[in-house]
Amino acid sequence: MSALTKILMVLLTISAIFLCGIVVTYVTNADNYKEKYDSLYTRFQTEQEKRTSVDQQLEKTTEQANRLEKELNDKIASLNIQVEQLKGELDKAEREKSQLLQRVDGFAAQVATFTKTNEDQRSLLENTISTWKNVEANLIKEQSEHKETARLLLEKLAIITTLQEQNKRLMEENASLQTKANQSLQQYGKTTVPPSLVTQITEQARPAPMLQITKEIGLKGRVVNVDIKNKMAEISIGKANGVETDMRFHVIRGDQFICDIVIIDVEPEKAVGRLEYLQYEPQSGDSISTNL
Amino acid sequence: MSPDGQTRSKKLYVPNDIYTIMLTIAFFIVLATAAYVAYTCYSQYGTIFNTP
Repeated sequence: MSALTKILMVLLTISAIFLCGIVVTYVTNADNYKEKYDSLYTRFQTEQEKRTSVDQQLEKTTEQANRLEKELNDKIASLNIQVEQLKGELDKAEREKSQLLQRVDGFAAQVATFTKTNEDQRSLLENTISTWKNVEANLIKEQSEHKETARLLLEKLAIITTLQEQNKRLMEENASLQTKANQSLQQYGKTTVPPSLVTQITEQARPAPMLQITKEIGLKGRVVNVDIKNKMAEISIGKANGVETDMRFHVIRGDQFICDIVIIDVEPEKAVGRLEYLQYEPQSGDSISTNL
Repeated sequence: MSPDGQTRSKKLYVPNDIYTIMLTIAFFIVLATAAYVAYTCYSQYGTIFNTP
């Protein structure tokens, strides 16, 4: 074996060791590109899926936004219509308000007029009441005088009755005496002559005819409302028609007596009373009257 | 076969030759490196020679 061959063998061995060390070092420290590729590909797939889902969400969100926009536009349109209607109603209400204010002014003027008229009527009523009181005093005075006159008249009538009895007795005595005288004078062919009265016979006194001291009230109306549970009823006439408390009305339906109503509360245009002598159940529209 | 040829061949294959040992060591180092590289390629890429 030559020296060159030996040298080459040594170099070959050293170079092989060196190169193998370099290769091992390189291979040991080299990156695993497949693993990196797989991880990057996995990340890529994941990102793709995320992008797809995000795109779908974006489409859904866009669709919802469009739908909401459409709904909001519809609502805005309807609200605009309502606003227009409310403006119209507001204008109408303002016109009605102005009209009502005018009516209120008119009513205020009427109330003032009524108040003045009421004051006048009140003063007139007070004057009438004072006059009525004077008339009532005069009436009481005349009634007392009338009573005194009636008492004197009764005394006179009693005296007249006594005198008439005396007159009758005297007439009977006169007739008996005249009969006796005629019997006595018939013997002589004579008879008595009826005496002529010196004073004229006046008409015999008699009591005055009885004056009608009562009259029928004659109120008529209708039953308006009936509360049969509490035995109460409302009638269609009131104080303006002459109805007073404790006045009794007879309820009739056709020719049938239903019950009586005794008034316990009176208002100007109506009155309320309790039911008595209930024969049948009264109804709205039944006739009422104070006299049967 | 000649006796010379047998003698010559006995000289070529001396077992304690230092250079033979060096070449053997170099060969096994290269072989081990190739095996290690092949194992690494197979473990990382699933194949030895082809492109994954």
